[in-house]
Amino acid sequence: MTVEILQGYLILSGILFAIGAAGLLLRRSPLVMLMCVEIMLNAANLAFIAFARYWGDMTGQIFTFLVVTVAAAEVAIGLAIIVLLFRHRDAADVDDVNALRG
Amino acid sequence: METTALVWIILFPLLGAVGLALGRNRLSPRAIGLIGCSTVGAAFLVVLSSVIQLRSLGPGEALVQTLFTWAKGQGFGLEFGLLGDAISLWWLLVVTGVGFLIHIYAAEYMASDPGVGRFFAEFNYFVFAMSLLVLADNFVGLLIGWASVGLASYLLIGFWNTKPEAAAAAKKAFLLNAIGEVGIILGLAVMFSEFRSWSYAEVFPQVSQASPGILTAIGLLLLVGAVAKSAQLPLFTWLPDAMQGPTPVSALMHAATMVTAGVYLMARAFPIYQASPAALTAVAWVGALTALFGAIVATRQFDIKRVLAYSTMSQLGYMMLGAGVGAYTQSLFHFFTHAFFKALLFLGAGMVAHYLHGEQDIRKMGGLAKKQPFAYWTFLIGVLAIAGAPPFAGFFSKDEILGAVLVQGHVFLWLIGVAVAGLTAYYMVRLFALVFAGDPSHEHGEGHESGAAMKVPVGLLAVLSAVSGLIAVPGVTSVPGNFLEPAFELYGHHVPHAGFGWPVAVVLLVAALGAYAAVKAFGPGGAGRAAAIVTAGAPPKGALANGLYIDDIYQKGIGGLFVGLSLAVGNGLDPYVIDGVVNGIGGLVKRVGQGVRQVHGGYLRRYALTVFAGVAIFLIYFILV
Repeated sequence: MTVEILQGYLILSGILFAIGAAGLLLRRSPLVMLMCVEIMLNAANLAFIAFARYWGDMTGQIFTFLVVTVAAAEVAIGLAIIVLLFRHRDAADVDDVNALRG
Repeated sequence: METTALVWIILFPLLGAVGLALGRNRLSPRAIGLIGCSTVGAAFLVVLSSVIQLRSLGPGEALVQTLFTWAKGQGFGLEFGLLGDAISLWWLLVVTGVGFLIHIYAAEYMASDPGVGRFFAEFNYFVFAMSLLVLADNFVGLLIGWASVGLASYLLIGFWNTKPEAAAAAKKAFLLNAIGEVGIILGLAVMFSEFRSWSYAEVFPQVSQASPGILTAIGLLLLVGAVAKSAQLPLFTWLPDAMQGPTPVSALMHAATMVTAGVYLMARAFPIYQASPAALTAVAWVGALTALFGAIVATRQFDIKRVLAYSTMSQLGYMMLGAGVGAYTQSLFHFFTHAFFKALLFLGAGMVAHYLHGEQDIRKMGGLAKKQPFAYWTFLIGVLAIAGAPPFAGFFSKDEILGAVLVQGHVFLWLIGVAVAGLTAYYMVRLFALVFAGDPSHEHGEGHESGAAMKVPVGLLAVLSAVSGLIAVPGVTSVPGNFLEPAFELYGHHVPHAGFGWPVAVVLLVAALGAYAAVKAFGPGGAGRAAAIVTAGAPPKGALANGLYIDDIYQKGIGGLFVGLSLAVGNGLDPYVIDGVVNGIGGLVKRVGQGVRQVHGGYLRRYALTVFAGVAIFLIYFILV
């Protein structure tokens, strides 16, 4: 893998991360926001894998597995929270869920 | 010699105290009196057998009993044990012996009081505490006993605890004695830093290697304790007030035994004092000045028990004076005889007050000789003994102290002592004349006659006051010397002695002059008597009668200072400074919280934006810098 190809992967990773971040900040649907978080995590994964290939080091790949595991757990809890949210508050907008304000 | 008997001297009264405390509301007054007397009597028998056992040992040997290891550390251990040497057994003879007689007296005197069970529980507790003080073989045990007799004193002075004066007197005694205890604790701290021990047997042999400065410090700090407990100048003000307690308490604790604990401490720690001339001189001067002060104030008192209280203070001054010139045998002998005649005088005063339904103002008495012949004759013996008339007990013991003072070359102290002897004769004869002589100055109605349980102890004490001086007639008998002096020679101190000589004649002459002046003024038809009776009931006037206002100086000066300080703190410092700080911190936190709560808006996306903004700031920082 050459430096140019690595740069390509990193640019793609950055674009994905920016899309996820923008979606998280701008969208109001909790489900979409959760998906945006996933996009950001996978952008990071992509960067890990790219670096792992470039340096020929397995550490990045192992880290990716860790991130995938954490993401799975996060989705499980996040979806559960969203289901309960819909059930109790009938809320499709996170801005309506502000009972914990100071 | 190791023995197992000594601990029973402590245990008998302790068992009595616990048993009586538990059964005080269930037992009859008769059973309470019986238990209270028998435990002290049993302790007295153990003391007697211990004395006999001690006599069979060689000189310098003592009875010891190891009880338990109290504390153990690196290179230090506190073995708690009992030491029955001549000094402690001498004291215990009086504590349990006179204590036994006064317990019998109290069994009748207190029988009709609803708190008789509590009284005997506390009275037995006192005998326990005093025995512990005297028997301990180390200074820590002594301090525990010391504080315990202080507690017993507090409880018994305030026995009639519904009387505000009694409660205040008890509090005063406790507070002033706390000053003394602090002195002793500091003294023990210095002692430990120098000798690494508190045991008598380990400290005293090391005294010769210690620096004089350290020994003087220890001596003076222990003297503070002795001054407080033995009512010496300037910590004496609690003793006259302590007369608020029942008369048997005044007789046993505030005349015969407890107040002599200070003298005991001087005698017990004699190797330290003998090695420090400065501390020894301080003891002698404190004693002499207190003797003079007490005697002067006693000449102006009108309460029968307060006269005796100041007299006790004065006689304790004699004992301290004796200890302060190294004449320990004479000092301890005076303690011995004083216990008899002062207990006799107090119990006699109790009989008189009992007869007059609690009247204690001597200006309202007079003419009791015919109505109370028994009290009259026994009181007369007490007066002769304390005034130093030969051959009564006080003559020998007092003159031995004064003789030793002169032999040691303290002419000025001797002159003070002689003056005190004259004053003593004066105030005692004055008291006696106002109470017993002439015609009744007021109507007292039909009195309450004392029973056998009160008369027998008083009679025995009268006999002892009359004859106990004969055990130490210079050149003839020397019981105290033979018994006590091996204990002092153990650490190389030879007690100075003076025989009969012209100084005795001087003392006798001065005392006779004092007695004559009192008879002239306060006998039937005397000018002082008439002047005194007119003022009956009024509190005594003048600086001398009020103890030079030292008590008022403490109350208004030191007490007022603390009250003022407390008020200033309570009304100024607390509401403004302390509350200001506390409320200020609270208000600050509240305002900060109100500002910060704006951040916590509850909008999820704003949180996300905050996180991103934070990350972005860090990113920019790391890229640029």
